[in-house]
Amino acid sequence: MPIDRNRVTRQDLVFVAVILLPLIILVGILIYFPAIDSLITSFTNENLRIRRLPKFIGLKNYSKLIENSEFWIVTARSLLVVSLTLPLELLISLGLALLLTEVFPGRAMVRTLILLPWMLPPIVNGFLWGWILNGEYGALNGLLYQMGIIDEYVTWLRNPDTQIIWVAVVQTWTRFAFPTIILLAGLQSIPKDLLDAAKVDGASSWQSFKNIVLPLLMPSFAVALTIEFIAAFQIFDVIWTLTAGGSAGGAINPFTKTLMLYNYELVFRDLRIGLGAALSYLILFLSLGVAIVFVTRLYNQAVKS
Amino acid sequence: MPLSFNHYYIRRIWIYLFCAIALLWAIGPIYWIFVSSISTRMELYATPIKSWFPSEPTWDAYIRLFQGGGKYRGGDVSPTEGLMWKSLFNTLFVSIVSAAFVTFLSTNAGYVFARMKFKGKGVIFFFLMLMMPLPLWVSIIALFFMISNAGLIDTLTGMILLFIVFLLPLGIWLMSTFVREINPEIEEAAIVDGCNRWQLMRWIIYPLSKSGMAAVFLVSLLTVWNNFLLPLIFTRSPDSQMLTVVLSLFVGQYEVAWEDMAAAAVVTMLPPFLIALFFQRFLIRGMTLGAVK
Repeated sequence: MPIDRNRVTRQDLVFVAVILLPLIILVGILIYFPAIDSLITSFTNENLRIRRLPKFIGLKNYSKLIENSEFWIVTARSLLVVSLTLPLELLISLGLALLLTEVFPGRAMVRTLILLPWMLPPIVNGFLWGWILNGEYGALNGLLYQMGIIDEYVTWLRNPDTQIIWVAVVQTWTRFAFPTIILLAGLQSIPKDLLDAAKVDGASSWQSFKNIVLPLLMPSFAVALTIEFIAAFQIFDVIWTLTAGGSAGGAINPFTKTLMLYNYELVFRDLRIGLGAALSYLILFLSLGVAIVFVTRLYNQAVKS
Repeated sequence: MPLSFNHYYIRRIWIYLFCAIALLWAIGPIYWIFVSSISTRMELYATPIKSWFPSEPTWDAYIRLFQGGGKYRGGDVSPTEGLMWKSLFNTLFVSIVSAAFVTFLSTNAGYVFARMKFKGKGVIFFFLMLMMPLPLWVSIIALFFMISNAGLIDTLTGMILLFIVFLLPLGIWLMSTFVREINPEIEEAAIVDGCNRWQLMRWIIYPLSKSGMAAVFLVSLLTVWNNFLLPLIFTRSPDSQMLTVVLSLFVGQYEVAWEDMAAAAVVTMLPPFLIALFFQRFLIRGMTLGAVK
């Protein structure tokens, strides 16, 4: 007699309810309710500095943000971090993925070791690089000096215009392992016959890379780019210890203030709750919008070719 | 053929050259923070020539950090001893307890979603998963007031509760894919033998999904350990602060010497470092799926 393992008895329903009900309640109360509550708050002028009952003001917070030049400066800075980080990350991770598809003794060890930075606390990474870039005793200065590239120590993080470049470098160091894994998986799924056939037909390795490997990697690029875009666009931890200097209530460094730090400042320093809530939803929509564009563009390209 | 023989070796040399560059980039900084933490002050502050290998390695910085604290210029003792012990305990406690809860809850739920049929299953799964890609930030403002009103601000219970909720969707999703990979015939046999569902979980599902549970546990542990935003916002006193926050305070607020901060950074990154080194095969799948979600 075949047993229908999916047949559900009343006892089973109790089992399902005991397991799922607490989860539904937890997620409902601690994720859905606050997300909706924040959305409602974003339509009010709630400000904890001013003792008044919050008033419903419609979309005014959103228009106030869009008309505010600081919002655009901060958004542009976040996009600058993205546009510095993504190419750097993709270049490094594509190179590493190609290196790790080669078969050589010690490959597994190299793979394990290069994934380490991704798994460490980003807050430590910011500190770590802050120490390396230190102007008085930093390792980068020591290294460059010993190689004869610089004659005296440079205070790398002092110049406000270049701080953001170092932020991008550290973000790249923190994240490059993830796209490497994605691209490596993509490379390994390319059928070997295809490359062999191209070789027989007389294609050079550059030609087969450009005409076979790259197009087939497009979906992996789409995934990696989207996730790395969101990670860079919403960067917070790394900046906090590298350049922000916001610990223990100190002022947040205006030269590396990105969207998330701006949001933190609005809510937890200025206590402008309504405006901060509006900003967090704007960040969400911006991230989702760009993510959708990335994925559809790159996927379509992959499908066409 | 000498030509291809040469070609083979030249290729190998190039490969190892690139490996060396990659490793210098990836673990050079980690090496340097470790060296800084065990160098003597003389060597650490030597300029312009740095010493890349400590000639007299010492654990002094760690001892100062955990016992007594360094001396300020004014003569006071910095409070690192209390901060380090307390936050180390908090971080261990919160990450282990949250990861254990997430693993247990999501294995049960994963089984329900993988194997059982009932009305509304799709809707409930969608409800639990929908908010997974939302950045934490959109709910944090209201959540802050809720947690305050419940008296859970600045408590370990509050931290654990928050981490459980934010890790659950990923855990459930991972576990439902892991449970699907178990051969259903084993469960059928157990049901024929008269096992009820709870016994089935205890004797069949938990033992057979051990590696999946290990993956969920380790990914959760790592996520909690590495997190900074939640403890930054939801804790404010040393009683419940976690290591990441204390490290950020060392950098900004307290006058902690570089070698002591380096030691604190090494302590903060040690568990993730060891987990990544020895359990990476469990992590890759969970963290990749988690990021793709």
